[in-house]
Amino acid sequence: MEEQMAKIDLSNISHTYNPLDPKPTYALNPFSMTWENGKRYAILGPSGCGKTTMLNIVSGLVRPSKGEILFDETPVTDLKTEDRNIAQVFQFPVIYNTMTVYDNLAFPLRCREFTKEKIEERVKAVSDTLNLSSFLNSPARKLTADQKQLISLGRGLVREDVAAVLMDEPLTVIDPDLKFRLRRNLKEINEQYKTTLVYVTHDQNEAMTFAENIIVMDQGEIVQVGLPKDLFEKPKTTFVGYFIGSPAMNIFHSTVSSDHEVKIHDTTIKTNSNLGNLKDKNVKLGIRSEFIELAEKERSNTVKIKLTRVEDFGNFKLLTGKMGDLVVKSKVEREKPIPEGDLNLYFPPEKCCVYSDEKLV
Amino acid sequence: MSKFYTFLKYFFITFWTVFVVAPFLWAVSTSFKDFQSVNSKVTYIPWLDFEPTLEGWRVLIKSPAKGGVDIVEPYFNSIFVTCTASLISIVLGTLAAYALSRFTFKAGFVRNNDITFFFISQRIMPPIVLSIPFFIFLSTIGLLDSLLGLVVVYIVLLMPIAVWIMVDFFNRVPKELDETALIDGCNPYQAFYKVVLPNSIPGLIVAGMFCIIFGWIDFFFAFILTFTEVQLLPVKVVALNSSITPWWSLSASALVSVAPLIIVAFIVERYLSKGNLSGALK
Repeated sequence: MEEQMAKIDLSNISHTYNPLDPKPTYALNPFSMTWENGKRYAILGPSGCGKTTMLNIVSGLVRPSKGEILFDETPVTDLKTEDRNIAQVFQFPVIYNTMTVYDNLAFPLRCREFTKEKIEERVKAVSDTLNLSSFLNSPARKLTADQKQLISLGRGLVREDVAAVLMDEPLTVIDPDLKFRLRRNLKEINEQYKTTLVYVTHDQNEAMTFAENIIVMDQGEIVQVGLPKDLFEKPKTTFVGYFIGSPAMNIFHSTVSSDHEVKIHDTTIKTNSNLGNLKDKNVKLGIRSEFIELAEKERSNTVKIKLTRVEDFGNFKLLTGKMGDLVVKSKVEREKPIPEGDLNLYFPPEKCCVYSDEKLV
Repeated sequence: MSKFYTFLKYFFITFWTVFVVAPFLWAVSTSFKDFQSVNSKVTYIPWLDFEPTLEGWRVLIKSPAKGGVDIVEPYFNSIFVTCTASLISIVLGTLAAYALSRFTFKAGFVRNNDITFFFISQRIMPPIVLSIPFFIFLSTIGLLDSLLGLVVVYIVLLMPIAVWIMVDFFNRVPKELDETALIDGCNPYQAFYKVVLPNSIPGLIVAGMFCIIFGWIDFFFAFILTFTEVQLLPVKVVALNSSITPWWSLSASALVSVAPLIIVAFIVERYLSKGNLSGALK
């Protein structure tokens, strides 16, 4: 069997579902991106941000209004879905009701005219991975919802030669325990067969644990592409800061006071950003609650807050305090004693992100 | 309360059963009577109340030359016309319905729903509106008083039913099913007949049942568009009546006329009760 996995290039893609409208609304704004062969990607974003449209464009179910798709430098924009060699798994299980589990798993291979021996071998391998071996001869419609979703997943994984397996929130219907095991299985499959996996989700934990690269989307726009660490430490927009991490990033309205400093109310905070040409402008200061430290006394880069709530999460404590009308959240170690009343919190300059027009400076 | 409810339930079921079955029993008993037993005193039970005779049944297969009415040929004509027209309607109707369910059509102000409604509107019209156009149409192409002409007319009558039922059915088959088939490597035609169609068998059966029923029971067009060459069963049964109503052969012919529908009903009921109507998704 010849290896057919491919690098996938999305070049200047944009899409609208009402192209004839004089003012079309874009489900996807123009973007370019490359999916490297054999990597794991997660597309993360709230519902309706264009994640599914992007997958459908790659699999050929939707033809982009503009732009080009290339598999290994070969344009495939006009190629039909069935000729593209992409596997796609939808959010809800789609199974062929009239067939047995075996026939369901064998269907993609039969459509591509594989030999009987090869089909048997692949179906066996995949059904072992997915714990479906004992059901192979049952009618697919008799299975439970999560088993049905395993079949959908299996139909994607059964073809070794696919350019990529696209998964659209595939584990929504599966219970948490199995979810965890399946995610690990998917990782193993990716490492073993070097299949490119693209995983759409709105669950950041799922994205963070699964993918090497995360693509964050919002309102048809790709906001940031990067490693989980980058997304966490240096969110490119305030949206990413809100969306990634729990609790969301602390964001404060502030004013630039000097080249490296901003003012929140009357407190001056030093940052590592170069703010030279933003003097006196209104910006936002963002800092993760994980990076805020308790300070024993007032010093530079500390803010004074009134403690309003302490929540014990077992492995950490979440402090919520007020600085005037601004809410500050800070995660501290469980063992750390929390003084009563007013607190001083230290903002490390290297962890402070400054946003102008919602974008990282 | 629940006892009262059970009583009510069984009461109505019993009432309804009697209501439905009584005419059949009456027809069965009448079909074995002769002139004497029908016209003298009221009788119900064979051998006790009256002497049963097969005469009512015999005339149905005797040729007119020997004093019979011979409904055999019209019977087979009806079977042929109904089955052919139903089959063609189902094939064409299913294809049309699939297209209407999956693709977006646009011509001026006309959209998919308007096209679907156009099909259904053919059934909303009183049939008499269509009788003159059909008559002129068939006589122009020389198919008046022929089986083929009837098949053509019945396709026009039955296809809207097929389209109507199948559009609704396909709309409930998730489009992800077709998409999955495409992703798995089918072309659109294979996706339709390998995946969507097998999933739609319950819908096909329901549509087929309606086509057969409406085709089989049609009297109006069979009466208007045929004369001497070809006769369909409903017309022939009506023609049995004369100045002395032959209740016995009318009853017998009524029973043989509904027999195919009863068989169809039993087959369909068995199939549908297997739970195959459940959705393909989730």
